Amino acid sequence: MLRFDFLEARNLRHAISLLERHGDESRVVAGSTDFLARWRQGFWRPAAVVNLKGIANLGRISYSPQNGLRLGALATVQSIESNAQVRRRYQALATGATSFAGVQVRNLATIGGNVCNASPAGDTLPALLAFDAQCTIAGPEGSRTLPLTELFLGPGRTALKQGEVLTQLTLPAPLPRTGSLYIKHSPRGAMDIATVGVASVVTLEEDGRTCRDARIALGAVGPTPFRATDAENLLKGQELTAGLLAQAAEAAEAAATPIDDVRGTAGYRKAMVEALTRRTLQYSLQMASGRAMPFEEQRRLAVQTAF
Amino acid sequence: MNKQPLTMTVNGHERQILVAPYYSLLDTLRDELQLTGTKKGCDEGDCGACTVILNGKAVTSCLVLAMSARGAEVTTVEGLATPDALHPVQQAFIERGGLQCGYCTPGLIMAAVGLLEENPQPSAEEVKFAIGGNLCRCTGYTKVVEAILLAADRMASLG
Amino acid sequence: MATFKVLEQNNPRVDAWEKVTGRATYAGDVYLPGMLMCKTLGSARSHARIVSIDTSLAEALPGVRAVITGVDFPEIRFGSGALKDRYIMARDKVYYIGEPVAAVAAEDEITAEEAIGLIDVQYEDLEPVVDPLASLRAGSPSVHPDLENYEGYGFTIEGGNICTLLDADRGDVDQAFRDADHVFEDTFRSQGINQGFLEPMACVAHVEANGRLTIWASTQGPYQVRAQLASVLNMALSNIKVIPMELGGGFGDKLRLAFEAFPALLSMKTGSPVKLINNREEVFTQNGPRHPVTNYIKTGVNQDGTIVAREAYTIFDVGAYLGAGPNSGIGHGLGAYDIPNFRLRSYAAYTNKVYVGSYRASGVADMTFAVESHMDMIAHKLGMDPLDFRLKNAIKEGDIAVNGSRVPRNGLVECLTAIKEQLGLPKELPEGHGVGIALCEWRSGTGPSTAAISVNEDGTVSLLTGSVDISGSDTSLASIAAESLGIAMDQVIVAKRDTDLAPFTGPSGGSRIVYSQGKAVEMAAEDTRNKLLALAADRLGVPSDALACADGSVYVQDNPPQALTLGQLAAMSVTSRSGPIIGNASLSTLPYAPVFSAQAAEVEVDKDTGQVKLTRYVQCQDVGVAINPMAVEGQLEGGAVQGIGRALTEDMQFDPETGAVRNPSFASYLMPLALDLPELETLLVRVPSEDGPFGARAVAEPPGFGPPAAIANAIYDAVGVRIRELPLSGERVLAALRGEGNDIAYIGDELEELKRAEGLSV
Ligand SMILES: Cc1cc2nc3c(=O)[nH]c(=O)nc-3n(C[C@H](O)[C@H](O)[C@H](O)COP(=O)(O)OP(=O)(O)OC[C@H]3O[C@@H](n4cnc5c(N)ncnc54)[C@H](O)[C@@H]3O)c2cc1C
Ligand code: FES
Ligand code: FES
Repeated sequence: MLRFDFLEARNLRHAISLLERHGDESRVVAGSTDFLARWRQGFWRPAAVVNLKGIANLGRISYSPQNGLRLGALATVQSIESNAQVRRRYQALATGATSFAGVQVRNLATIGGNVCNASPAGDTLPALLAFDAQCTIAGPEGSRTLPLTELFLGPGRTALKQGEVLTQLTLPAPLPRTGSLYIKHSPRGAMDIATVGVASVVTLEEDGRTCRDARIALGAVGPTPFRATDAENLLKGQELTAGLLAQAAEAAEAAATPIDDVRGTAGYRKAMVEALTRRTLQYSLQMASGRAMPFEEQRRLAVQTAF
Repeated sequence: MNKQPLTMTVNGHERQILVAPYYSLLDTLRDELQLTGTKKGCDEGDCGACTVILNGKAVTSCLVLAMSARGAEVTTVEGLATPDALHPVQQAFIERGGLQCGYCTPGLIMAAVGLLEENPQPSAEEVKFAIGGNLCRCTGYTKVVEAILLAADRMASLG
Repeated sequence: MATFKVLEQNNPRVDAWEKVTGRATYAGDVYLPGMLMCKTLGSARSHARIVSIDTSLAEALPGVRAVITGVDFPEIRFGSGALKDRYIMARDKVYYIGEPVAAVAAEDEITAEEAIGLIDVQYEDLEPVVDPLASLRAGSPSVHPDLENYEGYGFTIEGGNICTLLDADRGDVDQAFRDADHVFEDTFRSQGINQGFLEPMACVAHVEANGRLTIWASTQGPYQVRAQLASVLNMALSNIKVIPMELGGGFGDKLRLAFEAFPALLSMKTGSPVKLINNREEVFTQNGPRHPVTNYIKTGVNQDGTIVAREAYTIFDVGAYLGAGPNSGIGHGLGAYDIPNFRLRSYAAYTNKVYVGSYRASGVADMTFAVESHMDMIAHKLGMDPLDFRLKNAIKEGDIAVNGSRVPRNGLVECLTAIKEQLGLPKELPEGHGVGIALCEWRSGTGPSTAAISVNEDGTVSLLTGSVDISGSDTSLASIAAESLGIAMDQVIVAKRDTDLAPFTGPSGGSRIVYSQGKAVEMAAEDTRNKLLALAADRLGVPSDALACADGSVYVQDNPPQALTLGQLAAMSVTSRSGPIIGNASLSTLPYAPVFSAQAAEVEVDKDTGQVKLTRYVQCQDVGVAINPMAVEGQLEGGAVQGIGRALTEDMQFDPETGAVRNPSFASYLMPLALDLPELETLLVRVPSEDGPFGARAVAEPPGFGPPAAIANAIYDAVGVRIRELPLSGERVLAALRGEGNDIAYIGDELEELKRAEGLSV
């Protein structure tokens, strides 16, 4: 049966009870961008969808130095991309969001949908991982939190249980002297799935030279997006010379386990991990050292468009 | 899975219709409201031909479930012109040759309208980002970008 | 340049208002009362016998009104040309994944789709043939074992899967190679390409109670659809009316019958109108794209840079049926050059893939990539400037073209010079940047063309032609009529037509509308003018050669106030002896009028990723006269961007085991977006053609030919690597930069076999 029923969730409790009632046969929809594409391709065939979009306040974005960044699951990719705090403090997330599809899809797609869809190539995911995002999940048994690293189980598979809904992502406030960037490698400047995506976050010590913390996350080169921890460890506590960045990039490449597909061979993808890791680290370091980089310039770098 | 009642405001008029729960906003506009100006190029979100303005934002209507647009305001290409004049974007597309076969044109025009509502004075680069979700196989985009910049200038000088 | 009142001006398109307001009606916008929706079931196998098709569950589904399979059609093979190699719907065998095997008409689309899912087809697999080069070898399984018995098969060389060979020869090519100072040979490969029109195939069919069939179609060739439909339905041509709707792009793929026969037959069965719209996946897997082409090319050249001999072999993969021939490529193995000795061959080979269609001068873009890359490589080896090397060998007025025609006056040299000046060539660019050029040639298309013009009492004229508007051709035709008759553009009404109403004309394709159809309009306008002058002479009492026609009136040249407006003349004509004024014209072919275009790309190559950024694109084309410069530029820009896509990102990939399309969507078949392009620089040269309307030449095809070679040449200039295979992807460039062989196989063995089969010495 291709047809499905449309169930409007009035609030979170209602959504969870609808999901419990309809069980496996039902599926949550938010922006419905993935959902409609996959339904038409025949991958998803639910008997009913539970629409979250009508739930009030689930799309809020707020920032405070104490709580960091809170992204309601229904926040659209466009609202994240254009949020001033995100642009200022979480450049990798802003560039991840801006490299995503085209305006019309960004205006619909939600961050919760991008996370729960658990595509290895999801463009916001490397930045969320690199900023240590925590998930807040509501379910029949109440609410729980989970580090994002533990949410992804495989392509399209998450640790969410039947009846559970992702409600919020929380990203701790970055320390001073932090810079970050996401670069998406794809043949086109928009409307393209990442062949490889890399997000880096670099925080410097007060001396402005030594690396206090470095986080690197890779997309489209494994069954899930993941952190390249070996590469990160090479950098922590060290002075970030070009040679060291190159070593970290090689370590990131070694951690990648991509596949061949229509977008590129595994070998090419690995080479891209090396190149993009080096670049994202370089630019993050520049930003961490105090060089302001306008959003337009970050965007050009992120989608590799030379105007 | 019977049709369900849906109320939304389309091009300034409140419309009450019955819609199948699996219908997209695009199919609803075309099949139920006979607004065929909005085109279907892919039904997968990849081409932008189905772009409409939904609650002030340009969206691909093939990716919107009609029932989720309950109470929404929708503007389609048919809703831009007044009885006396075309919208400046439409006019500029004509004057600058921003269209050929015309199949992508309603979507491009709506993407441009969406951009100019948010950013009335865009640079050429910003225009290209704003129409980054629209495929056009005929024009090569150069004249489309020119047309949108011309419309922006004219709208700015009108205030 | 002659002065014009209408031509050479940026008049808006005649259909612009409808298109910007969403009022223009495409086939998919036709909604008729009681209309049913049609869906097709595509084959799941690439090569198989159909053992059985069980449609009973589908037929039983509520809302389903009819189900058809191949055997419901008359057992008649048809083809795109002389060779009749296919059925409209698979009968006993399937030849590619996606080939339609059944169709359903239901009350709504989702029911039709559900019904399709209930049809059970049992197949018995046969060995598929996927690689065209392998298909040439003796012992390869055969796609059409019965080929020799097909109607229209006229080929004599043994070789299981070859369905066509086209050839052209001049001089003693083998001797010329022996005598040449240098001989260079290379093999190039271009990828599978999709036309990428935004409007999917769509049509509505309705059979009236009297048996007459009406088709609302998305087509470039309404008369071709009518004829092929009559043949596959075995019905009288005169019982079919095709109404071409607004066309949302075709680029050659909508020249012929597509799936109109399915809703037509379903409409006959149900008595209701039936609509079929392909989804995007079906466009990719069921309609004729272009398959990868291998071009082998060999050139003999003397030390001073004079080319003395050329051999070119093209292996076209046509997929399961000869949907469009290899014909266009063959004539272009010489490029835009005068070469005294040559041997050119195009082979078309069957494989179990979706059959090919036409696409913007099919084959020429592939050949131009090969020829213009090869030219650059030779120039570098000889130590010559690539542009000078081209100029030295460029074909000139008075030379004999590959088709045997004398080359008339043309603007080739002017185009190359303009490019050189615009870019300041030769030039040094920063590290990692490069510039490359390509020279492209094509001819203005001809073919049967008709036009009729009638004058209305308010002074407007109505223009009737049978040609479908593509690329603004209606606007161009209206401009030609207006210029000829001395009236304003907005005084020309372009009639919406159908095959009942308008006289026969060739399809809208191959750059023939402005050149040939435009000529017919110019001639019809002359006829109209002569009739207007004769009537005015009679009424004003002066000889007709004392009169002129301008600004909407006919006036006495020596005394302009003595005049009659076109409106007055039209009103008078109604009761005149010769009756209402109507001018018409009809022609079959026009002489050879070449079209030349010089193009140049500047690129920046990212050495870490191999990614190529196009930073500048310049093209200059000899257009003869620009009927409407804005429209001409639009054609050149759009064409170049299709070529840029072909150069850099577009790549239809096929499964090497099954031949299935691996990337059947706009998300994975990557056509350029605004973001991927620099502002295009477009220059026009105007050397009028001898026979085109007001000297116009065709414009639409050459812009797409140049980018692959221009960009490949620019990459070589930037980073010193030569890529012989399209697309010029980051992956290929990086591999070449790292010295990891990206080279494609030299096709020596296959060539020798082909030559031996032809009786040539190897
Ligand atoms: C044309 C097109 C282009 C795209 N381009 C990109 C791109 O460039 N980069 C990219 O990363 N992605 C891209 N995507 C994928 C998609 O847009 C994103 O994954 C998007 O963020 C999904 O959000 P959504 O709100 O539309 O999700 P939906 O489609 O509504 O849902 C997606 C999945 O997540 C589940 N889900 C959604 N919200 C929740 C929740 N709160 N709790 C639990 N489960 C939930 C749904 O059940 C479903 O399984 C593209 C998709 C399309 C159609
Ligand atoms: S039809 Fe909606 S994006 Fe193509
Ligand atoms: S005008 Fe034809 S697709 Fe844009």
